[in-house]
Order: sequence, then C-alpha cells, then structure tokens
Amino acid sequence: MSKMAWIWQSMLNSYSQIFFSDNRLFAAILVPVTFMDFYAGLFGLMAVLITNLTAWMIGLDTFKISKGYYGFNALLVGLGLGIYFEPGMLLVLIVVIAGILTLLIAVAVEGVIGKYALPHLSLPFVFALWALVLATREFTALGLNERWIYTLNDLYILGGQPLVNLYEWWNGLYIPVSLRSYLLSLGAILFQYSVFSGVLLAIGLLIYSRIAFTLSLAGFYIAWLFYELIGAELSEVNYSYIGFNYILTAIATGGFFVIPNRNSYLSLLVLIPIVAVITVSLTAIMAPFGLPVYALPFNVLVLTYLYALKFRTDNRADLSTLFVQLNSPEKNLYSYVNYRERFGKESPVDVHLPFFGGWKVTQAHDGEYTHKGDWRHAWDFEITDDDGKTFKNRGDFAEDYYCYGKTVIAPADGVVEIIADGIEDNIIGERNPEDNWGNTIVLKHSDFIYSKLSHLKSGSFSVKKGDTVKKGDELARCGNSGNSPYPHLHFQIQSTPYVGSRTLDYPLSNIFIEHAGTRSLHTIGKPAKEDTVSNIMPEAPLRRAFHLIPGKILEFKTDDGEVTWEVKRDVWQNRYIECAATGSKAWFRVDDVMLQFTNFDGDRSALLYYFYLAAYRVSAGYSSGLVIRDTYPVNMVFNPYLIPLQDFVAPFFRYLSGEYTLEYPESKAGLHDSTYRLSGSIIRKIMGRKKDEIRFSFLINNQGICEFIIDRDHRKINATCTEKSASSY
Amino acid sequence: MEKLTFERPVIQKINAGLPSKFGISSRMEPITDIEGIPVRRLIEEFGSPVFVFSEATIRKTYKEAWRAFSTRYPRVQFAWSYKTNYLNSICRVFHQEGSWAEVVSGFEYDKAITNGVPGEQIIFNGPDKSRDDLAKAIANGSLIHIDHFDELYEIIDLCGTSVKRPKVAIRVNMDTGIYPQWDRFGFNYENGEAWDALNRIMVSGKMDLLGLHAHIGTYMMQTGSYHIAADKLAALAVGLERKYNHVISYIDMGGGFASKNTLKGAYYPGSDTTPSFDDYAEAITSSLMKSEIKPENLPMLILENGRALIDDAGYLAGTVIANKRLADGRRATIIDAGVNLLFTSFWYEHDLRPAVNVSDQTEDTTIYGPLCMNIDVIRGSIQFPLLKKGDQYVIRRVGAYNNTQWLQFITLRPNVVMIDITGTPHIIRHGETLNTINDLESVPEHLESTDNGTTQRTK
Repeated sequence: MSKMAWIWQSMLNSYSQIFFSDNRLFAAILVPVTFMDFYAGLFGLMAVLITNLTAWMIGLDTFKISKGYYGFNALLVGLGLGIYFEPGMLLVLIVVIAGILTLLIAVAVEGVIGKYALPHLSLPFVFALWALVLATREFTALGLNERWIYTLNDLYILGGQPLVNLYEWWNGLYIPVSLRSYLLSLGAILFQYSVFSGVLLAIGLLIYSRIAFTLSLAGFYIAWLFYELIGAELSEVNYSYIGFNYILTAIATGGFFVIPNRNSYLSLLVLIPIVAVITVSLTAIMAPFGLPVYALPFNVLVLTYLYALKFRTDNRADLSTLFVQLNSPEKNLYSYVNYRERFGKESPVDVHLPFFGGWKVTQAHDGEYTHKGDWRHAWDFEITDDDGKTFKNRGDFAEDYYCYGKTVIAPADGVVEIIADGIEDNIIGERNPEDNWGNTIVLKHSDFIYSKLSHLKSGSFSVKKGDTVKKGDELARCGNSGNSPYPHLHFQIQSTPYVGSRTLDYPLSNIFIEHAGTRSLHTIGKPAKEDTVSNIMPEAPLRRAFHLIPGKILEFKTDDGEVTWEVKRDVWQNRYIECAATGSKAWFRVDDVMLQFTNFDGDRSALLYYFYLAAYRVSAGYSSGLVIRDTYPVNMVFNPYLIPLQDFVAPFFRYLSGEYTLEYPESKAGLHDSTYRLSGSIIRKIMGRKKDEIRFSFLINNQGICEFIIDRDHRKINATCTEKSASSY
Repeated sequence: MEKLTFERPVIQKINAGLPSKFGISSRMEPITDIEGIPVRRLIEEFGSPVFVFSEATIRKTYKEAWRAFSTRYPRVQFAWSYKTNYLNSICRVFHQEGSWAEVVSGFEYDKAITNGVPGEQIIFNGPDKSRDDLAKAIANGSLIHIDHFDELYEIIDLCGTSVKRPKVAIRVNMDTGIYPQWDRFGFNYENGEAWDALNRIMVSGKMDLLGLHAHIGTYMMQTGSYHIAADKLAALAVGLERKYNHVISYIDMGGGFASKNTLKGAYYPGSDTTPSFDDYAEAITSSLMKSEIKPENLPMLILENGRALIDDAGYLAGTVIANKRLADGRRATIIDAGVNLLFTSFWYEHDLRPAVNVSDQTEDTTIYGPLCMNIDVIRGSIQFPLLKKGDQYVIRRVGAYNNTQWLQFITLRPNVVMIDITGTPHIIRHGETLNTINDLESVPEHLESTDNGTTQRTK
C-alpha cells in the first residue's frame, strides 16, 4: 500500500461508513447517488476532503481517518448544506468551516463516549448541522437553494425532453406506498429525497450485506406498522424525512453492533417503536427552534441500548456484542459463530495444567465435596494407577500416594503473589480445617487472572514471593496440608489475589483429555471428574516448523513460480502472514504448542489462502494417530458473493459448513531425524452433506515445512520450500 | 489317606528374643499358584523345571516406573535393555508399552530389528560394535553411543562412505561417590576425556551429536549417585551449548536400578532396602530440572532399565529331587534347577518358596541344584520347611539376566512360559531337545563310526 493510499481509502470509506461498511463497491454506488444533486454531492465531497485532511494535518490516527470514522459525519453535513443553500463562494467557505467543526465535534464526542467503548455514530453530524442551520439564518448573503422546486424545468435544462419523458414514465410506475416511503427514507439518509436514489441505495445495501438489507426492511416495516397502530402516516413527507432512523437503528442493533440472530431480530419489535416515540418527542422539543431531528433518535436509542447491554452479568438474552468489528454483519456473524465453536469463552491468558504427566480429575467444577458456592470452579487432581487406585501399599502414609511429592509447575507465566507455607501434612484421613487451603501459592498472570495451587507440601517451595516465573517452572511439591484428608492438588483460577478468593469459571488451554477411554486434544477445555488430563509436549521439529515469529520468511516453489511470505504483526500485536505478491494476509494465534489461523483477507487463489486453510489448527505436540478437527467460518470456505441465500437466513440457520481435519502419523519414529507427514482435508458441506473436498499434506523435517501439497479436483499444487527458506533457521 | 511326612525333630536355639514360648514363627508362605494358575498344573503341562513370566506384572511394573518419571519430567523415554532378557515375547511386551530398544551387540541389534523396532528407536551401546554393525546402525539412523576413541575414529572413517550422517552420543563415566567406580565404559568425566571426545565429534562436523549417556553401575542402592551423574551430564550439555551453540536432544541415564532381590551378604532383605522408582526418579529429575539447561532446551530423558522392570515378573518353578543329611547334620534339599538355569544365584539370596502346603516347622537347609558340580548351590543356608521328593517349589524374581545368561550345561534348558493378561499360558521358548544341540554339531567323517579307530589304536 502506497503512503498516500489512505486518502482514497478514507474518501471511499467516508461514504460507506454511513452504513457501517467499508465495502468499496457499496461506496462506488453511494458516491454517484450523492451526485444526483450535483452541488450537494460536490459540497459533500468537499466536506469529506476538508475533514480528512484537517484530521491528518493535526495528527489524528491515520487508521481511523482511512476507515472514514471522521469523514462520514462531514459528508452528511456537506450534503445537507449543499441541498439547503445556493452554491457559491460563500457556501464553500461555510462548508470548510462546517467540515472542521464536524471534525472537532466528532473528536470531542469520541473522547467523551469512547471511554465507554461506544461509537460516536452520527452525533457530530446532528450537532454540527444544527449549529450551521441556526447560524446561517443570520447569513443574509447566503441564498437558499431553489433547485428541484420546479423539477420538470430543471430536468428539461439537464436532459431535454427525453429526460422529462423518462421522469414521467418513472413516476407512472406503480410502487406500493410503503415501499415508496421506504425508498424515500433510504435516499433521505444522503439528503437525496427521491425514489430513484432509494432504489440505488437499496441495491448497494444488498450488495454490501444481505443481513443489513433484510434488517433495513424489517426496521422500516415495524415502524410502518407502529405508525398505523398509533394512527399516524409514515408516508407523510415530514415523517419520511426521518424514516431512515428506523432503518439505521435496525441495522445497528439487529446485526452490526450485535451479532445477528433470532433474538436480535426480535429485539427490533421493541426497539423500533421506542425510536418512534423518541422521534416524536424530540421533534416536539426541537420544534421551537425550527430544527429537524435528523438522525438524533437513532443515535439516542443505539447509544443507550449498547450502553445498557454492557451492564449485563450474563448473556442469557443471547444478544452478543462484538469483540472484533469486521464491518459486515455477515462476516461478524460467521466469524463469531466460528470463534464461539473454536475458542468458546474468551481466555486472554492461556492457563495450562500445573504438573507433568497424566493426572486424574478427582473433583471437578461443582464438585460433590468442597467445590461449591464461591469455590465451585476448581479442580482437584491425583495420580492413579491402572486399577484406579491413587496409592500403593495400604495408603496409610502420605508417601504411599502417587501424587505426593510430585512437582507442581507454573501453569502460565506470572509473578508469585502469595506463598503460605509452614503447615504440616495431615495424617491420612484427617483434615485441618483451621488452615483450610494448607500450603498455598497464588500466581498473578495478568490483571484479574490469578491461579492458586493448594494443599502443597510444607517447605517444598522453590520460589518466593515476588519471583517472576515462566510457564513450566517448578513451584513446589504436591502435599497433604490443610483441608485434605489424603494428598491431592487443588487448582483454581480467580480474579483477585487472595488465598480463598472466589473462583473464576475459566478454561484450561491445550490439554489432552482422556474422557471415558478416548483421548482428545482440546484447545481449551474444562475436564470433568474422572478424566485423565495431561499437557501437550511440543515436538521440536513441529514446533520449529509452525512457530511463526515476526520477521520469519517462508518461501515456496510451485509450478506457477515462487511465493514469498513474511510473518508480520500489526499495531495491536496481531500476527499475520503477508504474501509479497498478492498482499493477502492470514492472521493467526500461536503459542508453544498450537498454531491457529483466525482470519484470511485477500486473494483466494493465492497459495497463502490454502496454507490458511491447511494449517488452520496445528499442534506441535501429539500422540500417536492424533486427529484434530475444527470448523471454518462459512464465508471463509465459500465464496462470500455466491452465498446470498445463506446470508439471508444465516442469523437463524446455517446450512453451509466447512470442516477441517488434520491427521498425525500413527507412530512416531525416534527423536531425531524426524520427518512428519501431516495430512488432512477441508470438506465443504451443504445441509450436512459433503459437497467437495480438498486434500492437503505437509512434510515436516528439521528444517521446517519442506513440502506442502494441495489436492483439489481440478488442481494440484505442489509447493516445496526453497533452499533459502530452509537455511533461514 | 496319604501317608504323613516324617519330620525329624530338631532343637534350635532362639536368638532373637522371646515373643512367646513358641519363639518367632518361621513359617514360610508357599506360592501355590502364579497369576491364578496352580504351579502343579504348570509343571504338569510344561514340564519341570519351567520359567514362568507374568505379562500383567511386566506391564504393571513398567507403568509404575513410567508414572514415577513422567509425572516428574516433561519428556521421558524408556529403552528396553535387551541383554536383561531378550526373549522376543518379553521384548515385545515392552515395545508395546512404548519402550525403545537398548542393545549391546550386533546380535541384539538384529533381534531388535526382527522384533519390529524402527532403526531410529534402537540405542546401540557397548564396547564391541563391529564395523559392519556400525555401518548398519548408521544406515538405519540408530543412536550410537560411542564407548571409546577407536570406535569414534571408526565412525569418522565410515562417514566417508555413508550417505547418512551418524547419530551419536557418548557414554561418560564419572565419580558419583560409589565404589568401585565404573570407569571401563565410555569416556571419563573428571580427567577431561569426555570433553576431548565431544570436541572431536563437534569439530569433525560429520555426525549429529544427539545425546549424552551415563550408566553408573548396576544394582545401585544409592539414588544420590544418579543425582550426581545427572548433574555432571547436565553440565556437559550446558557446556556444549555455550561452546558450540549445540543443543542436545536427550540425556540417557542408563539403568542399574536395583530390583527387590536380596544381594548376597546384605543385612536386610532387598524388599526393604531397595529404593523405589520414585526415589530414583526424584534423584534424576530434580537434578535435571534444577540444572542450568534452558527450559526450552530440556532434553528428553532416556532410561535403559532392565532388571528393575522384569525381575519381579519371572518365576522358576520346579520339583524337589531328593533330601539328604550333610556331614554336619544340616539338611540338604536337591532341586531340579541349578546354577545352569539360575545364573543370578551367584549374586542373590533367591527367594525360594514351597509350592505346596507345608508344616510350620523350618530348618536350616542347603539347597543344591541337580548338577554334578560342587558349585551348584542355589541357597547356602535357608530356613526351609521339609519338602518331599516330587513336591514343587517356586523361585521368585528371576526375570532378569537368567534367560540370557543361562547355560546349556549337563542338562537342557527348559520351556519358558508367559501367562498373558487373560491368564492363559503360552510357551514363548520351547525347551531344548537333544537335536537342538546336536544339530549345531558336525562330526568329521573318520569319527562317524564308533566301533573301530580308538579301540584299534590302543591295542
């Protein structure tokens, strides 16, 4: 991307951002629509340029400018001014002032409500245009716009008799009143009060997002019915001019800021009438000043609603607010559903098991002995033999128990917060409720994430308070102190640094869970009672091959030539691979044992896309014959432009799916000279039935990925790593 | 009714206090069955004597050892010591459990290959590796543990012709505080030979140095020595990384763990004094975990235990041949297994038990084997009940070394049976027959006839 590319991006995005989009095609429709009234379009464009350039000159975040976050408000203000006033030098001056004013208001509003992680929406536009409308009443030199008062005259001047005839024909077309009103409302968003603009906008909206289009209709018609109910006519001109409030509200609350699903659609039944009420009351308030409400009702409702949602303690209403905004309801939905499937509850810090080898869960969450109430999200671990016994001999002494004296290790990087030591081991069968937790260590992993290990052996600590520990460092030995009738290890995650803090419902990362005889690998998991659990131990060659560190260069040679990828990271520390030739990017998360791709953006015929699909989830550790399964977001395996039907019904029902399978070799060879052949498939399904399949395989050796094969029905790609890439280790 | 056995009354001095007027009970618990199968039936079916292995015990012992190490250290690998017992079925049980193979000769190497062990999972130890053996091991990618400089030179020489780079480790001997110090295998740590060897390997650039190996002794009762050995190997590993920026893949601590057999001359029985797997594991892993090796470079820990894993699983069952009185009045019982089958009786006070119900009375007895050799003594002195001719006995903990060191001497070697985990016995090695021996022999033509030759010449 060239240095000045942000100017073009910021301009286009300033148009599409009105509908929360960053879709270029959509912007390409919006720009001409604004020029339906030439001068309005011109002044709108001028306002955008002035705002974005001012923002750049005073040094605001280029990313936000290029995303159009500041520009779209100025566009609306510019359009409004261009529609109201006679073009001229004075108007140019006013638009310049308006653009800068809008920017300042936008930054101020962002500063105030941004703290609450709320978007500034179009509040700056409303405030700025009010200011200008009030002020310009005194500007006697500024003439009001007289275009389109005598429409036919103007058309005749523009296009002669044919255009007038076309206009007559167009007006003669039968369009139901409600639909006409809907289209007018859509056009009104861009101050283009015509059915034709509305039609173009509706098409653009449909191209941008099927869900947003559906929502716009739903929002409008709910409002329509509500007006019928209260005995008003939404088709009346003054109402139509504010009809877009319902449309924008529906898109925002039904699918953009909230993941679209049945409940988000149902919520519109309540939210839209509220907007109607707010509209009526705000109109009454503004009437004495002679000011229209513009998009204020939409802003008021959306902001209060989003703010209120933040105070929920759980998501029982199934209205999920986003964590990553992908600027499209479809993308948001597919990636959210997939993210939920893959990673479940967000776990900002990966917490692993605090021991070596396989241990058995003898009390899990909501356990029957002590894991109740505030302490219900904890685990007790012991070691068992094949007969399920936890001790040898008769179990009369702590030393008889397999887990006793075993090393307890740090489950994640952190700092030692508390060490409680000096409590003697209990005699088997006795408890020490006085010192309930016994010898205990609390580690701080990040703000609000602490782990606590209890019932440790007295005097066995190999760290002290304040020490920094790395994942896997020895902390102490398993003991039998505190409320512990026989040796076991108590492990919990908590949000406060005290011994005895209430537990946090938090999953463990990258663990093998042997449940009812079958062993499986879990990215995150909460083992149940009787499960045998162990950490994944990475194999060096696999780890080397898939541990993608920023700066690493990967080069592959295929029949079509060579490709070069570089691992990079963005300002938020998100890591991605970038293909030098196509500019495609594949985002991933990686730690010691697991590589997981999270997103791809770019050319889907590039090798990088197949790499994204094939290395979707790779573990550096494995057991013989391990099979890893995962699912893709629908839009990442199906062409997002060819699944409109799925998009329409996606909030309720997803019949397309993409499944990932990766198979590890049956048995591993020695520890050296290790070549691994990992193979797998990407299966696309329609209604659960297989549509097609892509086979792939990796050949890993000590140098890394030395071969990557993709086998598609019509195409076989054989990529081998080049010498240069191999020697970069 | 069967005629009762006459036991001659003996007067014994009580020299261990007087808990009651009957003295200390010296009753010996008989072993009447192995894994649920009566000893009598085993002998009826498979002959006497017979070696009996319990697959369940092997697997249980393996898991116990595995648990001790794997719950203390992140990556552990066992390698089955072939010389301890290389009966194929025994080896395969260990391989099924996940063991690699540790061999010390070309013969053992081939045996491991025929047992389906991948070349990369064979550790080739020992001072005697022929040039052909080495070439084969290099070709198969096996781990060659270099024992001496001549072997190192031979490998460097082989590098010239071999396509593959040899995967090597060096065996290191060292002072671990035990006496006598084992210094005949490998390169010495204290006098700098070990570094000398490492330098030559690294400088040659022709082979991959993957590991460091130590085997500090056998039947080690001092776990602290393992701690010292692990410390010293870790120091070498750290030194290699500092000097050559070379990270080794594994540290092999060898074997030498004691079994629960009682050594000759030991004051307490082995079952009371032998360190447990946990004790050994603690000594070794605590050293490695606290060493200066970087956590991300923590090498795999390989253990080559033999004896401690198999001894408990093996039994020798047989029959009493006769009783007699010795000149000093002591009783002697002659059984049908001697030092030819039980090589370990030179080291151990074997736990010999009757397999039939016997009286509570025991008497100081010498147990002789069947050989017509004065040294054929199984137990010089044991408080043993009277067994009649034809009664069965069982000797416990004979799984290690006997089936590899036994002699075909005077008698033939008997059947070896394994009782699988369902309790079904299988013959895993057939008893030898006259043909087994004779088939290997060849007689020169002039000796084929026995009726002339010598007789004529003496005339």
